[in-house]
Amino acid sequence: MPTKTISVRIDGELVTAREGQSILEAALANGKQIPTLCYLKGLSAVGACRVCMVELAGTDRLLPACTTPIQEGMSIKTASAKLTQYRRMAVELLLVERNHICSACVSNGHCELQSLARSLGITHVRYSYNNPRMTVDMTHPRFVLDQNRCILCTRCVRVCAEVEGAHVWEVASRGIYSRIVSDLKDDWGKASNCTGCGKCVQACPTGALAEKGLSVMEMVKQSDAVSRLATQRASLVNGAR
Amino acid sequence: MQSVANGALNAHEKLLIDQAVAEHAGRPGALLGILETVQAANAHKYLSMDSLRYIAAETGIPPATIYSAATFYALFNLDPQGDNVVCVCRGTACHTRGSRDLLEKLCLDLGLSGQEASDTNEADKLALTTADRRFTVRTVACFGQCALAPVVEVNHHILSHVNERTLQREVKALNKGGK
Amino acid sequence: MAKAKADTKYIICNADEGDPGAYMNRNEIEGDPHSLLEGMIIGAYVMGATEGIIYVRAEYPLAVSRLTKAIEQAREYGLLGANILDRGFNFNIQLVQGAGAFVCGEETALIASLEGQAGRPRPRPPYPAQRGLWDKPTNINNVETWYNVAPIVTRGPAWFAETGSAKSPGTKVFSLVGKIQNTGLVEMPLGTPLKSFIYDIGEGAAPGRRVKAVQTGGPSGGCIPVEMLDTPVDYESLAQIGSIMGSGGMVVMDEDNCMVDVARYFIEFTHSESCGKCVPCRVGLNKALRILNAITKGSGTREQMNLLDELGRMIRECSLCALGQSAPNPVLTTMRHFREEYEDHIVAHRCRAGVCQELALSPCENSCPLRMNIPRFLELYQEGRLEDAFESVILDNPLPASTGRVCQHPCDNRCRRQSFDEVVNMREVHRFLADAIYQSDLFEPMLERIRARKLAPTGRKVAVAGSGPTGLTAAFYLAMLGHDVTVFEERSEAGGMLRFAIPEYRLPKSVLRKELDLIEGVGVKMVFNTRIGFDVPLNELASQFDAVFLSIGTWKESWLYLPGTELKNVHPALPFLESVARQEKVVTGARVAIIGGGNAAIDSARTVMRMGASATILYRRERQDMPAIDEEIQAAEDEGVRFVFLAAPHRILGGADGSVKAIEIVKTRLGEYDKSGRRRPMPTDEVQRFECDSVILAVGETFDQDFCRASGLELKEEGTIIVDRFTYETSRPNFYAGGDVITGASNVSNAMSCGKQAAQKMDERLMGEQRWERIFPDFEYSRTAPGEPSLSRRHAAHDLPAALRVRSQQEVVAGLDPKEALEECRRCLRCDLRATVTAN
Repeated sequence: MPTKTISVRIDGELVTAREGQSILEAALANGKQIPTLCYLKGLSAVGACRVCMVELAGTDRLLPACTTPIQEGMSIKTASAKLTQYRRMAVELLLVERNHICSACVSNGHCELQSLARSLGITHVRYSYNNPRMTVDMTHPRFVLDQNRCILCTRCVRVCAEVEGAHVWEVASRGIYSRIVSDLKDDWGKASNCTGCGKCVQACPTGALAEKGLSVMEMVKQSDAVSRLATQRASLVNGAR
Repeated sequence: MQSVANGALNAHEKLLIDQAVAEHAGRPGALLGILETVQAANAHKYLSMDSLRYIAAETGIPPATIYSAATFYALFNLDPQGDNVVCVCRGTACHTRGSRDLLEKLCLDLGLSGQEASDTNEADKLALTTADRRFTVRTVACFGQCALAPVVEVNHHILSHVNERTLQREVKALNKGGK
Repeated sequence: MAKAKADTKYIICNADEGDPGAYMNRNEIEGDPHSLLEGMIIGAYVMGATEGIIYVRAEYPLAVSRLTKAIEQAREYGLLGANILDRGFNFNIQLVQGAGAFVCGEETALIASLEGQAGRPRPRPPYPAQRGLWDKPTNINNVETWYNVAPIVTRGPAWFAETGSAKSPGTKVFSLVGKIQNTGLVEMPLGTPLKSFIYDIGEGAAPGRRVKAVQTGGPSGGCIPVEMLDTPVDYESLAQIGSIMGSGGMVVMDEDNCMVDVARYFIEFTHSESCGKCVPCRVGLNKALRILNAITKGSGTREQMNLLDELGRMIRECSLCALGQSAPNPVLTTMRHFREEYEDHIVAHRCRAGVCQELALSPCENSCPLRMNIPRFLELYQEGRLEDAFESVILDNPLPASTGRVCQHPCDNRCRRQSFDEVVNMREVHRFLADAIYQSDLFEPMLERIRARKLAPTGRKVAVAGSGPTGLTAAFYLAMLGHDVTVFEERSEAGGMLRFAIPEYRLPKSVLRKELDLIEGVGVKMVFNTRIGFDVPLNELASQFDAVFLSIGTWKESWLYLPGTELKNVHPALPFLESVARQEKVVTGARVAIIGGGNAAIDSARTVMRMGASATILYRRERQDMPAIDEEIQAAEDEGVRFVFLAAPHRILGGADGSVKAIEIVKTRLGEYDKSGRRRPMPTDEVQRFECDSVILAVGETFDQDFCRASGLELKEEGTIIVDRFTYETSRPNFYAGGDVITGASNVSNAMSCGKQAAQKMDERLMGEQRWERIFPDFEYSRTAPGEPSLSRRHAAHDLPAALRVRSQQEVVAGLDPKEALEECRRCLRCDLRATVTAN
């Protein structure tokens, strides 16, 4: 479907983008990197993690790149001292919110939260750890949900709703008490809507959702595969409109 | 605390839910309306797991979505409420006139353990029920009755300019006359 | 919206008035639901909408029922439904009740709620006007906007723009609540200054209190300090100072509100209402709340304040919706305008407002400048332990007999019995305890007992300049801490204002003598007739002493520049009182006029009466504005002192012999409120003349500018010495300063408080460790609260009859007798005791 081509500036460089793209999509298409956590190509963008905030010339307001549409003439800055500071703080906040103990986690070494922390140069956190008591659900025959590692990115919620159509996952309660739940907060093993497809596990950026019986080296997520599936499904749905 | 298992829904309860669903079907705010109606019709003013499951089945809304809505809004209770519900207003005007102290005193009198804005409190909103189910203490952000501050609602009856003594008297009276 | 093409278009009225403290919408809907419907029907017609929804919060049951009825009636009248008024226009309005989520006031969250989901905001664009409810064009407005539609249509936009300001036309309904005399809802043109709301409509704070701040815009808004009350109330001006208009809520606060607690309260609210979707709001507010909790409990640190600031800015700039973006406003504004309160909590572990319970023993103790453990001495005396009670008192307050007579007793304002009957007369009890010891043979053994609590000699020498209340207090504690203390006094006797300004009939010098005996008894050396900086240069002090404390007070008179002040028999108050105190011959004449309204004016007037003359006090404001202690004013009135209020001095008229004949005053009227919360006296044209033969000027005291300038220490712009607020250090190492010379003329207890705190800090510096607690005794006493409060009335001190009083300098207020004192102690409700509930 032909869309209008527009020209914008990203980090000083003049590039082309397509109308309807988000700032993030335009940047990625032009080989520019913007850090993200809750974004997964193919799924709807929600703007939850606030890691992808960028600066726009002409305004003091920061914009979330994944949900803001790119417009003709925009001049975007993807990195600056302030953006780096705020990205660090967002990751810091996630690190203290729950119990992220890399050394004991199956996603150690290939976790998006960990990688982002490393790339931002985070060596320690300045806020005290909340140390909440969180649960682990091992009732599913094949998978595990460890709430200690969840960052509430909702990629699992979206992939289950938008791609698989099973709607198993949702976020319950609100604020700091928000939790991912399956069905009516049933044990995952008893959630009748679950098809066992495992897309949520592959979409999950951390070790919150994992496959039982896999070692650290084996538990590398196939998020690209999920993206492909999601993109295919999205274009099917859009085509049908 | 675990919700009281009252077994599967009986025919009357199912009918109530059917009616609520039919009344609200297809309209904006349908789910809110259904949950409000079902909760109000319940003797203990709460939404049991069975009723939520039934609503999911009847409306076709995914159970996770229903659970998400039921736990998001402060009005909905997933636990049976006490026979008497005492709701302390924690709005700005009431706070300025000492409603936090009122709340603490109330909890103290009813033997409910220390309720401050506890950082590590797992409860998602303040709704404490005494062990004998006689009283539930809740808070509301604001009743909109700021000129009468501090305000406490006892069994849907608004009391104005409340102080520790008048509140204590109310509670005592309810205890004596209670079911 | 009108241009949007869609089969269905929605208009929504956002009646989810969630702001705590805002209840205009409730009143508007309950009062007149029809106008709301009218506005929406007109709007729908213009925009081509077919469905209307009113989203009203469930906490407003009356509004819901009236709106339901109004909708029914509108249908009956054919104003809703199909083919309205034969225009071929179909429109229906449906009522949906909210379910207790403040965030649903945000438009995309409201839409999500209507779609049957949790009320979590969604990214914009797309804006609701393009894709809103179920992706259809949707227009959302708040209640007041819809109400304004019909009047604007009827009377035209020009009419609407007449009121208000250029960028913010029209009116708004505000809810004015909190610590002012009149609370309620008020509709005013936008652009009206905040001052009008507080003082004209609200009529200011309760008597005896002053407005400190106003919070506008609810939990999303900011705290505006009283200095900025000229700010006009419109959208732009409020945004410029860090606040917002919001729902129009205005919460007024006075000095009994702790601004840190206010910030914590609002964060508590936004934190519990956060939807949880985005990281900055969900986790950031949680961390901010924890930091604020720590600060109110006395465990906060300066680093945490910086973190709080940083968090506030990040949450504001990165949050997904307006809830998160505005939630830090109360914190950021209070940190900007009330930083001192945060620092007090963090550095001094002090909550001056008396709100943060963990930082104080009891409300009375918190309000006492000396932080006396009042419940303790009241309990000890109840248990029959006079000596223990006195020891408890003296180590908290080295001048209990003097303060027992002249303290302005802030404890009375805080005693919890005021909500029950009358406050406990704590000052009279510690006066009684002091008198009981000082006027008996228990004095010597008590002195021994106190001396025994002294810490071992430290070998450090400390010099104190000035033997007023500040200097005496500092000296007492430093001596108790084991230091070798010498007090240098420029006059011939010790006591400062206690000796040479406060009259004999208020504070007998024999009483003061005993107190000085005790202070000298613990080892304080006094050197008289020696003026520091003059007779002894500061450099010499520096070489002889390890630390120097400058507490020279405010002994310079503020002069009044009036025609006629050069005449004979015009006296400044302080030298007048000093002469009387020295029992020198003072001639005052028979009819004395006194200018001023503070304690010096009252003391002068009552002294003059005792010299057989008549006294008339001329004050330019009203009685309740006088800074003097209320009971002193009352006593003066009883004794026959005449008061003339709203009288500003104009000129003094003299006779041929150069002495005073009369004084002319100009009547004033009270105008605008100034920053002190009092109305400014404005001169009128009316002049009055009072015959008199002498005038006493009691218009204030100030510090010695020359001394300060010659001291070589760094000075403030006003000329006084710069000291660190918490450590009392000046710019020169080992030199400290405190008391009136720093704060300006104050009162005895505040002055003593400076001396006490300075002593603690100086000791820490000298010894490199915290030893303060060691001089204080531990007492075992009952920790059980009285089962039922004693119902006895408050025992007051015994005033001599007014007619007798003016005949002599005899002390006018006799203390309580032992039985009365005991009964008074029993009235204490023991607010120092805390109950905890353990989970069982």
